[in-house]
Amino acid sequence: MTNTYYEFFCPVKVIAGKAALEHIPYELSGLGAKRPMIVTDKGVRAAGLLDPVIAACEESNLDIVCIYDDVPPDSSTTVVRDIAAVYRKEKCDSIIAIGGGSAIDTGKAVNILVSEGGTDIAKYSGAGVIKHPLKPFFVVPTTAGTGSEVTSIAVITDETKGVKLPFTSSFLLPNAAIIDPRMTMTLPPHITAATAMDAMTHSVESFTCMAKNPLSDAYATAAIKKVSQSLLQVMDNPKDSDGRLELAQASTMAGIAFSNSMVGLVHSLGHATGAICHLPHGLCMSLYLPYVLEYNLETIRQPLGELLLYLEGPEVYADTPASRRAEASISALRKLRDALYKRCQLPRTLKETGKVTEDQLDHIAEMALDDGSIMFNPKEVTLKDARAVLQRAWA
Amino acid sequence: MLTKRIQPMASQAKRLYVELMFQVMGRALQAVSEVDSVVQTEAKALPEGFLFEMMVMPDGSKLIVEHMGEGRFHYHGDTAPRPVDVSIKFKHLTHAFLVLSFQEKTSVAFAHDRMLVDGDVSYAVRMTRVLNRLESFILPKIIAKRAVKEYPVDLHLPEKLTSAARIYLKVATHFVQSARA
Ligand SMILES: NC(=O)c1ccc[n+]([C@@H]2O[C@H](COP(=O)([O-])OP(=O)(O)OC[C@H]3O[C@@H](n4cnc5c(N)ncnc54)[C@H](O)[C@@H]3O)[C@@H](O)[C@H]2O)c1
Ligand SMILES: [Zn+2]
Repeated sequence: MTNTYYEFFCPVKVIAGKAALEHIPYELSGLGAKRPMIVTDKGVRAAGLLDPVIAACEESNLDIVCIYDDVPPDSSTTVVRDIAAVYRKEKCDSIIAIGGGSAIDTGKAVNILVSEGGTDIAKYSGAGVIKHPLKPFFVVPTTAGTGSEVTSIAVITDETKGVKLPFTSSFLLPNAAIIDPRMTMTLPPHITAATAMDAMTHSVESFTCMAKNPLSDAYATAAIKKVSQSLLQVMDNPKDSDGRLELAQASTMAGIAFSNSMVGLVHSLGHATGAICHLPHGLCMSLYLPYVLEYNLETIRQPLGELLLYLEGPEVYADTPASRRAEASISALRKLRDALYKRCQLPRTLKETGKVTEDQLDHIAEMALDDGSIMFNPKEVTLKDARAVLQRAWA
Repeated sequence: MLTKRIQPMASQAKRLYVELMFQVMGRALQAVSEVDSVVQTEAKALPEGFLFEMMVMPDGSKLIVEHMGEGRFHYHGDTAPRPVDVSIKFKHLTHAFLVLSFQEKTSVAFAHDRMLVDGDVSYAVRMTRVLNRLESFILPKIIAKRAVKEYPVDLHLPEKLTSAARIYLKVATHFVQSARA
């Protein structure tokens, strides 16, 4: 008997497809919520994405009590405290986060404060600190990438200490995730590309890292297939609502996969690069993915080879000898990155970003080694190894 | 009938084994931090006075070490002088036994949700690397390979043998000293 063991958990109700937003009032009332607050950012509001949500609620006689639209890209403890104060002042009883990973993570943190009390979110940082269910919490993702609507983690920056605080608890999971193709239709090309590559990376790492399991595998492969089939179509035709829905679902599925099996070195390097060079998360994922797969290659040859079926389809898979499939999977991902570069200049190397200098690589390597995700990378990573991967990703 | 009588004994044996392994590891951690520059470099990034704990939930055996500065660890036995900074908690005695008897790699145990990290994850990652290094030092290669994700290539046999011997010696003296004390 092997030592195989795994856990899988996803209690989020997924409400997806055409006119999904119109289910929000019914779902809120099912939880006894009457005074929802919207947490979002300026970009999402400017794209007009709040209007259909507000209209859907008003048509059911449910008033949105207040809207906070000033979430910054890297949400901070102060922002969370401010939003919690507004929530209390307005006597809200539930939260609807509308946006990408930034607004969603902020919504999760605000929910901790308004449910558990106090003004100091740092107090609840860590794993398993929260012991009670929180207020009704709904998430409407507007990027198709982070999968944050189905993960039990939020990351908030503590400005005074200059550190990122992680919060993990299954109570952070929203009551419902509402996936409506209208919400991602306005995503600009480079954000569409970068966030879709985040979802791709969640799936690929989930399928090749140490905590992979049969259930997360099923979600990961299905997500890879959807991204592979729809991303370039959507890039060429941004108003393709079927394609948009495919990407949005892929992102949620990839989120379910990785929150149950964790991610590896691509994320360790990406988190460090994001913190040091302030590059968007999805961009970093797309950038590092092939280099990390090459580094892990001999440890993940079998699972990576299997992914060729989902990346390129049955013909290419059947035509490729089993011994070459892992390399072919990496080539397929490189090909996709080239196609994205052609369409929106999504960088493929650190040099192409124009925001990283070569003397920052050592700092990135050191920080990546302290990232929690490195524990789940299938191959052990030393400082020397991390530096070597960064050097290859440089140009 | 028979299983009922045998089981508590088996679990008692596991408990004793885990307790003993924690003692050996605690002393070895202190010893290895006095001789190995790789461990020292890792440990130097930890704050001075940093307390690290490994324990079996809910209230089982414990191992507590403190970073004294300069990359040196001090083994505190199973009682901490103040609340610990990072704790790696095995969810059950059986899981601790699997890991400490080298049937399940530490990294796999993490991946299998056998244990929880309480406290700053980046310090926990660092301590896991220190523990891996320790295991590859004090265990014969054949067992160490089972315990760690990758056996370090820069750990050549003579160095390993001499350092391991020194660590064993230190552990042994420490045992004798504390037995006398
Ligand atoms: N909790 C998790 O599980 C998890 C996982 C991955 C990433 N994250 C976090 O998520 C964040 C990144 O999230 P993201 O990639 O979704 O980006 P984001 O939320 O930062 O949004 C990026 C930009 O896109 C704009 N935008 C979003 N949706 C739009 C739309 N439909 N139309 C027009 N503009 C739109 C926003 O206004 C913003 O300016 C990072 O902080 C990362 O740490 C969290
Ligand atoms: Zn990600």
